[in-house]
Amino acid sequence: MTETVQKLEVRRVTKSFRIRGRANAQDRTQDRVLNVLADVSFQVRQGELVSIIGESGCGKTTLLRIIQGLVHLDSGAILVDGVQVTKPGRDRGFVFQHASLLPWRTARKNVEFGLELQGVAAAERTRRAEKLLELVGLAEAAEQYPHQLSGGMQQRIGLARALAIDPAILLMDEPFSALDAQTREVLQKELVRIHDETAKTTLFVTHDLDEAIYLSDRVVVMAAGPGRVKEIIDIPFAHPRPELPELRADARFHEIRGAMAGLIRNATAATSVKVR
Amino acid sequence: MAEIHLSNAEATVETIGPAPRAAGKLWIARMCSIVVVLGGWEILGRRVSPVFLSPPSAIFKAGVVMARSGELWGALSTSLETLVIGFVTASVVGIVLGLLIGRYKTFDAATDWLINALYAMPMVAIIPLVILWFGLGEEAKLFIVGILTVFPVLINTAAGVRNVPQSLIDVSTAFAANERQVFTKIILPSAVPYMMTGLRLGIGRAIIGMVVAEFFTAITGLGAVIVKYGNQYDTASMFVPLLVLMLLGILLTYGVRRLEEMFAPWKEVD
Repeated sequence: MTETVQKLEVRRVTKSFRIRGRANAQDRTQDRVLNVLADVSFQVRQGELVSIIGESGCGKTTLLRIIQGLVHLDSGAILVDGVQVTKPGRDRGFVFQHASLLPWRTARKNVEFGLELQGVAAAERTRRAEKLLELVGLAEAAEQYPHQLSGGMQQRIGLARALAIDPAILLMDEPFSALDAQTREVLQKELVRIHDETAKTTLFVTHDLDEAIYLSDRVVVMAAGPGRVKEIIDIPFAHPRPELPELRADARFHEIRGAMAGLIRNATAATSVKVR
Repeated sequence: MAEIHLSNAEATVETIGPAPRAAGKLWIARMCSIVVVLGGWEILGRRVSPVFLSPPSAIFKAGVVMARSGELWGALSTSLETLVIGFVTASVVGIVLGLLIGRYKTFDAATDWLINALYAMPMVAIIPLVILWFGLGEEAKLFIVGILTVFPVLINTAAGVRNVPQSLIDVSTAFAANERQVFTKIILPSAVPYMMTGLRLGIGRAIIGMVVAEFFTAITGLGAVIVKYGNQYDTASMFVPLLVLMLLGILLTYGVRRLEEMFAPWKEVD
């Protein structure tokens, strides 16, 4: 028995999209094949927060959607707790880039959404939703509609909604990228706190170097054309994490940041979108 | 207002957006314009022959007489019966068909040519046919009201189902919703504001259908009152049902708006 439990395994995942040739919808000879992911493998351990970073077009969001089961893979496998998964399930909670709350539901009802689909009784749903709204610091906004909430608050609700179904793994798709700088920093700090409190295994997609270093235990650096794992970097800072401004004063922070920037730049320089 | 094209025929689908907020200043402007129009009408009405234009004061007097005699209420209740039964039935049919058409491409393909053709045709043109089919009685009137109401409701409902944001469908997929849950928890609520827009457009057309039916089939209701006093050259009395119709239109549209606020409160933006 190994000491560390592999919560999520991404095993040799390959994905390509067929792009329709313009001339004739029936004529498939004009179609181009875009290789989005080629042989991507890595693992996430129990309780770990792992970030995936890379330039846009490296397939990091596609990979996350494959893990969630929103997109089918061509070959390879996704394993959660050692069991292969192919469809969306309760074992994975997804936080979307733009919160994507249901506008006709109050904050509390949005958090209850996943539980409702599972047929959890109303009283139990409410109890769990209220607990999670408290966790994300929005207990008093429970009866507000999304349009009455700021972008940052909406994203907190999105996080609470994903956590409500108590998934084995939390998948987050650039959740803070659409927020302003201050709100983003507040939410990054919140995520560190929530992750320390819940110890929820988390896979976090981002294109922000500082964010990746600040949040993660490890960072998967991806390269594009086709998307592949370039390197996996361990982040040495201890938990609970010092705040980001404090981290920035640390020489190691800049060392890691420089190395990561170099990997991404060099990956981009070598990239030419392969079209077959 | 934006227009969405359902294949060839044009169907008006209103953009869902914030309602303009009425400030105090705007109300003053509105009041002033009411005073000017009514005042101008009164002055003009007193100068020309009463057959052409009756002043508001004369219309008011005629209205009081018609209300006291009960003529107005009798006509109104007859008209309202046609309107309500026709509108409600057509709305239910329109919503059900709209949901099917919006959801299932085969259903859409099987019906779109017919809907386009019927929606494009001026409905008054089929009245002789309607009379042939249903005679001059209540059935004919209900059919005319119904056929005018059903299309805006149907087309808007279908548009609502088609315009469900993919991001929300993704949310339900990510949370492992089944087909039925996607429909009841995402598509249906998402289409509600469009349905309400359809109902609002439909109510205006239902009133048109009601009056047209009352003119061209058995002459009854408010339409009959208009015809009767028109024939008598009693313009003041003829104006009474016209004003009642306007008021009816305003009230019913307001009613649907309130319904909208009730069923689609998230549409409000402040």
